[in-house]
Amino acid sequence: MVSCAVCGGCPSDYVAVSIAIFSMISLIVKSTFPFLMHKVPIAKGSAFWIPVIQVIASFDFLLSIVMALNFLKFQRSHWWLSCYVWAVWLEGPLGFGLLLSCRLAQAFQLYYVFVKRRLPPIRSHMFLPLILLPWVAGAAFIHEKKHLNYRCHLGTHWIIPVVSLHTLYVSVLMGFTGAIRHIEFRFDELRDLWQGILVSASLIGVWVSAYILNEIHDDILWLQVVSRFILLLTASILVLVFFSISISQPLLSQISLRKREPLELKTMGQALGIPDSGMLLQREVAVDVDPNDPLDKLLLNKRFRQSFMAFADSCLAGESVHFFDEVHELGKLPIDDPVRRIYMARHIINKYIIAGAAMEINISHRIRQEILTTSDLTHPDLFTNALNELIQLMKMNLAKDYWSSMYFMKFKEEARMRCCGHEMEEMRVYNFSPRLSCVHASDDPFQQDQFSSRFTQDIHASSH
Amino acid sequence: MGLLCSRNSRYAEADTEENAQAAEIERRIEQERKAEKHIQKLLLLGTGESGKSTIFKQIKLLFQTGFDEEELKSCISVIHANIYQTIKYAKPEKGEFAQNELDSSKYVLSVENKVIGEKLSEIGSRLDCPCLNRELAQEIETLWKGSAFQEDVLYARVRTTGVVEIQFSPVGENKKSEVYRLFDVGGQRNERRKWIHLFEDVTAVIFCAAISEYDQTLFEDEQKNQMVETKELFDWVLKQPCFEKTSFMLFLNKFDIFETKVLKVPLNVCEWFKDYQPVSTGKQEIEHAYEFVKKIFEELYFQSTTPDRVDRVFKIYRTNALDQKLVKKTFKLVDESLRRRNLFEAGLL
Repeated sequence: MVSCAVCGGCPSDYVAVSIAIFSMISLIVKSTFPFLMHKVPIAKGSAFWIPVIQVIASFDFLLSIVMALNFLKFQRSHWWLSCYVWAVWLEGPLGFGLLLSCRLAQAFQLYYVFVKRRLPPIRSHMFLPLILLPWVAGAAFIHEKKHLNYRCHLGTHWIIPVVSLHTLYVSVLMGFTGAIRHIEFRFDELRDLWQGILVSASLIGVWVSAYILNEIHDDILWLQVVSRFILLLTASILVLVFFSISISQPLLSQISLRKREPLELKTMGQALGIPDSGMLLQREVAVDVDPNDPLDKLLLNKRFRQSFMAFADSCLAGESVHFFDEVHELGKLPIDDPVRRIYMARHIINKYIIAGAAMEINISHRIRQEILTTSDLTHPDLFTNALNELIQLMKMNLAKDYWSSMYFMKFKEEARMRCCGHEMEEMRVYNFSPRLSCVHASDDPFQQDQFSSRFTQDIHASSH
Repeated sequence: MGLLCSRNSRYAEADTEENAQAAEIERRIEQERKAEKHIQKLLLLGTGESGKSTIFKQIKLLFQTGFDEEELKSCISVIHANIYQTIKYAKPEKGEFAQNELDSSKYVLSVENKVIGEKLSEIGSRLDCPCLNRELAQEIETLWKGSAFQEDVLYARVRTTGVVEIQFSPVGENKKSEVYRLFDVGGQRNERRKWIHLFEDVTAVIFCAAISEYDQTLFEDEQKNQMVETKELFDWVLKQPCFEKTSFMLFLNKFDIFETKVLKVPLNVCEWFKDYQPVSTGKQEIEHAYEFVKKIFEELYFQSTTPDRVDRVFKIYRTNALDQKLVKKTFKLVDESLRRRNLFEAGLL
């Protein structure tokens, strides 16, 4: 018993380590499940990196506890088995600190977008290292001064600043979460944040008690064994509960291990509950379209819009029509519903406006900057200028060719059949377009089935 | 037995009919595939505003039936739109004004002209441009005469989005000539994502570079110089794996604007041309500047070409896309070049 408490290898240690391994595996499965099972394409930008960093930080954290507290029996002759690497660097800046910083970065984004109603001034990839600096400084200081004893514990004096740093970050996270608690989020963002805070706060409580007990009664070996078992157990639960993808990718959070039946593919419009989003209702009036009408008026008719969209997609110019469609959906949201308007506006910005976006539209630099630096994401005219430019572009490029395309003829046929009730004639589909004779490409982002809506494009866009 | 035989023969008849049909379809498919093989695919690539669509239009005029009435009518509205847009968004030449503002009210205008300018600017921001009546036209003329951008000529400028193609065959001295399929694309950054769908089996890439834009910035990014963007894009296109055997025809376009500009704005305002030193004035200087630009592009080509690709055809042409005769002449040279290459590939040269 004596040797096992000091050098590691007690039965409870092995149990704790296996729980930690199990928890790590569950975490990895939970994070990759939506991508593997539902074949959702991997997002770009911070929506991909922040969850990945969280998984890595969780692994570091668990590993640091295992190595630093003598769970396993091995020699400490090599430098990489040194106490400082595990208890200081891997536990702090690369473990707990990194975990909380990811959460903080996400909370910061949410705060800016939903409370200040503008896009965050600092991008995540700069914000994250910035808030990690105190941890790095602290770790460097401890390493320099060599405060750890032979059993990898800090002296009583040094426990206090270390624990206060941990507590500080949890309180800052609490502060940001408190500032956004009045927002009615639609994708469980708040709930996940509170969950994370609760679990991390309780872990710190357990930790503090464990250390105090260790210091005061370090001759009581069974206490050592028990306290480190509890420590690893709580940490394993923490990393599992702490992880969530709702903040980064709201639509993706709807696919989770909890739900049994696979969800219907949805667009952001449907996810937000916009009426008639993405559906072609029977009661949509099939008016006879007059080519002399202005294009923006014609596009308000849903059937015409779908037909025009299919044509534009065939000549690889579809993003303008898709943008029109989604801005039209945004227009259906009432002005006094800022939260949903912000979700939709952010979704549109990530999908169409940001340079390098999946379906980036062809607008001038000035208009793009106007949208990206707006001080009010809920403004009803946020996308008006861009829309005008695009309608002009569509008029000059696509409108004329559309009238002489098979898509328009099909549209006319369908309209005639609907109002006259004739039997459906077999129309040979030539896939003819006056603009482009070859329209097929396997990785064409605009190529889509009629019924698998624009979900894949939504997921592509990083919800920043 | 007899019945069986006769029934069988009836089935056999139906079979042979089906077989004949299937064979006919197969033959047609084979014919089309063969025909496709003989079609030479040409791509017009380049940054935004480099003149690709103008070259496309010229070739359409030269080798196809030209524009029908509908297209001509639509052009009028484009010209109208452009008048208003130019007033609203015109960029003053860097040499004359030191600002990058696009607001029309920041021009140096007299008070009366300011009023006209604002009125026209307001019109330009609306979707539907009003008819260009005499009164408006006179106001525009007043503004035009007083402003600094008299040089800007009214050409129907429209950004291309997506892909457009035409098929044509330039009838040469021998009647039997190649069939070309020419693709025009948008040049802005978001449009380049779509180019990849066209990169298979390309005979030649016609890369348009507007050499007069060395002091201008991009439509989609006002922090980036046009020439530097062209350089990076050309480099990227040259390194594409699909273009291992593709011929490259570099059109150094907008030479007419280049001629007048190079005497007023030095070439070295562009960081890519920073090593340029002017030697003289007038026509000599223009030629010297042009040769410098041509040399820099050649250097770029050889830098970006790996040794295994060095035997692909690379030609540089000086063009002015608005000059139909020049485009016709240039295209004839391109056609010759490609035919020679085809013969070479077939082992006949």
